Amino acid sequence: MRSIRRTTDLALAFAGATLALSAASCDRALAPPIAAAHEGEGTPERGGTLRLASFGDIRRLDPAVSADLLAGEAIELMFAGLVDYDRQGNVVPDLASRYEVSQDGLVYRFFLREGVRFHDGDEVTAADVVRSIERALHPSTPNPISSFYEMIEGYKAYVEKGAPHLEGVIEDGRYVVAVHLHERDARFLPAFALQNLRPVCKSGGDRYEDGWLPCGAGPFKLEPGGWDRGRSLTLVRHDGYFLPGRPYLDAVSWTYANNIGTELFKFQDGDLDVLRDMNQADATRFRVDGRWKPLGDFDPDRTVSGESMNTQMAPFDNVEVRRAVAAAVNREEYHLLRPLAVEAAGQILPPAVPGYDPTFVGQRYDYAAALEHMKNAGYPYDPSTGKGGYEPHVTYYAYRQGLSEYTAPLLQQQLAKIGIRLDIKMVNYATLLALAGRRGQAQMSAPGWGMDYPDPSDFFDLLFDSAGINEEGSLNSSFYSNPRLDAILEDARRELDTRRRYALYGEANRIVCDDAPWAITHYYRYFLVHQPYVKNFRPHAVWSDYVSESWLDRSVPRMALGTSVWSDVMGLYRQASVRGARP
Amino acid sequence: MTRRVLRRVAWAMFVIWAVVSLTFVVNNVLPSDPARMVAGPQSRPQDVERIRKQLGLDRPLTRQYASFMHRLVHFGPSSPDAKDPVHGTCGTIGRLHFDLGRSYQQRRPVITILAERLPRTLWLAFAAMLVQVVVGTGAGIFAATRKGSWGDHLAVGTSLLGVSAPTFVIGLVLQFVLAHELRLVPLDGYGLTAKEHLVSVILPALTLGVYGAAFYTRLVRDEMIVLMKKDFIRTARAKGLSELGVVLRHAFRNALMPLVTIMGLDLGALVGGAIVTETLFRWPGIGALSVTALLDRDGPVILGTVLVTSTAIVFSNVLVDLCYAALDPRVRG
Repeated sequence: MRSIRRTTDLALAFAGATLALSAASCDRALAPPIAAAHEGEGTPERGGTLRLASFGDIRRLDPAVSADLLAGEAIELMFAGLVDYDRQGNVVPDLASRYEVSQDGLVYRFFLREGVRFHDGDEVTAADVVRSIERALHPSTPNPISSFYEMIEGYKAYVEKGAPHLEGVIEDGRYVVAVHLHERDARFLPAFALQNLRPVCKSGGDRYEDGWLPCGAGPFKLEPGGWDRGRSLTLVRHDGYFLPGRPYLDAVSWTYANNIGTELFKFQDGDLDVLRDMNQADATRFRVDGRWKPLGDFDPDRTVSGESMNTQMAPFDNVEVRRAVAAAVNREEYHLLRPLAVEAAGQILPPAVPGYDPTFVGQRYDYAAALEHMKNAGYPYDPSTGKGGYEPHVTYYAYRQGLSEYTAPLLQQQLAKIGIRLDIKMVNYATLLALAGRRGQAQMSAPGWGMDYPDPSDFFDLLFDSAGINEEGSLNSSFYSNPRLDAILEDARRELDTRRRYALYGEANRIVCDDAPWAITHYYRYFLVHQPYVKNFRPHAVWSDYVSESWLDRSVPRMALGTSVWSDVMGLYRQASVRGARP
Repeated sequence: MTRRVLRRVAWAMFVIWAVVSLTFVVNNVLPSDPARMVAGPQSRPQDVERIRKQLGLDRPLTRQYASFMHRLVHFGPSSPDAKDPVHGTCGTIGRLHFDLGRSYQQRRPVITILAERLPRTLWLAFAAMLVQVVVGTGAGIFAATRKGSWGDHLAVGTSLLGVSAPTFVIGLVLQFVLAHELRLVPLDGYGLTAKEHLVSVILPALTLGVYGAAFYTRLVRDEMIVLMKKDFIRTARAKGLSELGVVLRHAFRNALMPLVTIMGLDLGALVGGAIVTETLFRWPGIGALSVTALLDRDGPVILGTVLVTSTAIVFSNVLVDLCYAALDPRVRG
C-alpha cells in the first residue's frame, strides 16, 4: 500500500512495480484478453495499474460487515457473488451459471460454475456458499443489513433464537445451493445480489472475526500489506478468476482521505487516472471543454432528497398543509444551487431505480395551488400584505457539511411565500438522523435516501410503510401511515410478475406524491472524468467506479487540462530551470 | 522541588481524568446514535439494535463508564494474544495494561490505532515546532536588533500576514506553488520510507509553522525591544561584551520566559493533532483521526484521541513550569 508521490524515485518505483506485475502475469501464461469485447473501445490490453482516489475513507472490507458505497467499490472487485447486477441494474448470474425459481416463488436454486477458485486457490463449492451465508447472518456478526434477508426460512430462529444453522439455506450437491423463503418475496433476488452474503475463503471461518485478511473469488485480490488504513488500498489481479482473459488490469489502487483540491492537482499531474471528487467550477470546466466532454460521465441517479413533514405533528398532520409545501417548493431553484449535480425531482424513485416512470409528473411547483391548499387547510395567506398563514414557527432540522446547508435557507424563503415560517436548526448529520427518527421530535427535516439495491421496495417500504415507524431511529421520518399504501406495498412485495409489480409501485407513487409526507425536491448525481487511455470505464447502475472490465490503452497519451496564465508562467520557469537559467 | 513536581503531576492526572470523564459523558448524552453510525444511516432498526447490543451500548451509562475506567489501566498477562477476549485490545508495559477498547468503525483496538498515528503526529509536531522556533525567534531577534530598519518592517509585515492568514489558505498556496507547480515536494501523504517521511513533512510543517513563526517573531521582537533598553543590557555593553553576546546571552535569555509559555501550549496542541493541516495534507495523524471519529461517533476512538490530546497539553504545561524553574531562579523558591 502506498500513497501517490510526485518524486522521481517513487515514479520509478511505481513504473517498476507495474513492470514487475506485468512480468509476473506474463510468467503465468494467462488467457489472452477477449478481443473486441467492448464496442468502440478497441481491443482490450492487459496490464497496468488503474489509480483512483476519494475524499472518503473505508473502514471495513469484509462483505459481511460493510455496506458503504466506497468500500463497496473494492469489495465488488474482491468478492464474486452467485448473482450480481449488470450495468443496467438487472440481476444476472455470476458465480452461478444459472438459477431457477420454483413455481410458488419460495425456492431459489443456484447452480455454481465448476472449477471456480478462491484467491487462495481452493475451489468454490456449495458448502462454501452456505458457510459464508451463515457466517454473514450469524447473530455475533455486526452485519448492518442482516434484516434484508429475513425472508429466508429459519432466519428468525438463527438470528434471534440461536439455532445452530440457517434452515433455509441448503447445500444441494457440491455445486447447487437452494435458498428457501418462508414467504414469497420479490425483494429477495435484488437483495441477494448485494455483496453481503458473497462467498468468502475458508480462512474467513464459520464466524466473523476482526482482523481477517479479506479473501474471495472476485477478479482482484488483496495481498498482505495491500491496505494501509486511512491512506490507500491496492488490489492485484486474481489470476485464477473464472472469466477467461479477465480482468485486464494488473492492479487497482485507491488513495483515501484526499482533499478534493489535491485530487484535481493529482489528476492534472498524472498521478490519478480517474477524477470523481471535484467542485462545481471544475466539473463545469470539464463539461464545457470539448476535449474532455466525451471523457466525463454522470453516475446514474441513485439518491432522492426531500423535505420530510412529520404527519403526527402540527401543522403537517393536515394533508392540505403538506400539499401546500409540496406545491410551494420550486425545484428549479434547488437545481440552480448545483446545476451539474442536482436535478429537480417530483417523484420518489430516482431514474436509476427500476420502476421509475419518466412520464409520471408527481409533485411540481405551482404557487397558486400552494396558496389554495393553505386556504383549504384553514391558513389563508395574503402575499401582498404578508399576513395570515400558519403563525407559529416551524422547526426545521438540516445538517451541516452537505447540500442541506444551502437548501435550508432556500426552503425557508420559498415557504415564507405561503405563510409558513421556518426556524432552521443546523445540526451534524449523526444528530439529524437521531432527531428526525424520534417520534414527536422534528416537525420538519431534510432526509435523503440512497439506493441500497435496485428495487422500488428499497424506497417505498422503508420510507413510507407504517411498519417503518419506530419510537427511535424511525426511517419513516414523516411518521406517515396509510393503510391503503401499506396494502399496496405488501402486494408488491409478494408479486413476482415485474409488470404487475411496477404497476403497484406506480400506484404507491401516486399516493405518496398526493399525500405528500415528503416534498420531494431533487436527485443528486456525481460527475466523474477519466483520462483517455482508461477504456471501458462506464457508469454502473449500482456500483461506483466499476472497473472490473476496464483496461488501459498505453498508446493513448495522457491529456492535460486547459492552461492558465499562472500555468504559463510556471511552465516558463520550469523550462528555464531545465536549461539552467531563470527567465 | 520533588514535592513540587509530584504535586504538579498529581494535578495533571486529575485534569486528564476530568477531561476524559467529561468527554465520556458528553459523547454519550448527545442525541446521535453511535450504533446507527456503525450500521449506516439507512440501516433498519432491528439491525441497529443488534449492533448496539454487540457494542455494549445497551448497558446503562454508569456501567459503561465503570467498565471503561476499570479497563483503562489494569494488570494482566505480559503478552496477551490478540484473540484474547479480555486482553486482546490492550497495550502492555510488562503486566501493566492500557485498554481503550475497540473502534466501533474500524473494528481494531484503539491502542493499536493510536500507536500507528501518534508517531506521525509527533513527527509533524516536531517539524512544525522547529519551523516556528527557528524562523520565529530568528526573525524576532533580527527585527529587534534593527528596529525601524527595512528588515524590521519586512519581518513585522510578513509576520502580520502569517498571523492573519488562515491555515488552510497558507496550506493551499504552499501546496499549489511548491508541490503542484514547482514539484519540489509531494502534494500530500506521509510516505513509506524514512526519506519520504522527511520530504513529506515539509509542506504540512511549513503550513503549521507559518502561523507560529509569525507569532513568535512578534513576541520575541516586542519582548527584546523592551529588554534592550534595560539597565542590565547597558551594563553588559559597558563591560565590553560583544553585541552578539549581549543580544543572545542577556536579552534573548530573558525574553525566553513568555516564549517558553507559548511553546509549551503550542507543543501540547500540536501533539493533539493539527486538524486542518492533517486533513489538507492527508497526514495520517491524531488530528485527522479525531475528526473522522467525531463524525462517526466512534466513542472509543474519540476518548483515545482526547486522552492523548489532554495528556500532551497537561504535561507540556508541567514541562513549562519546570522550565520556568530552570530559567528563572526566582521561581525555584
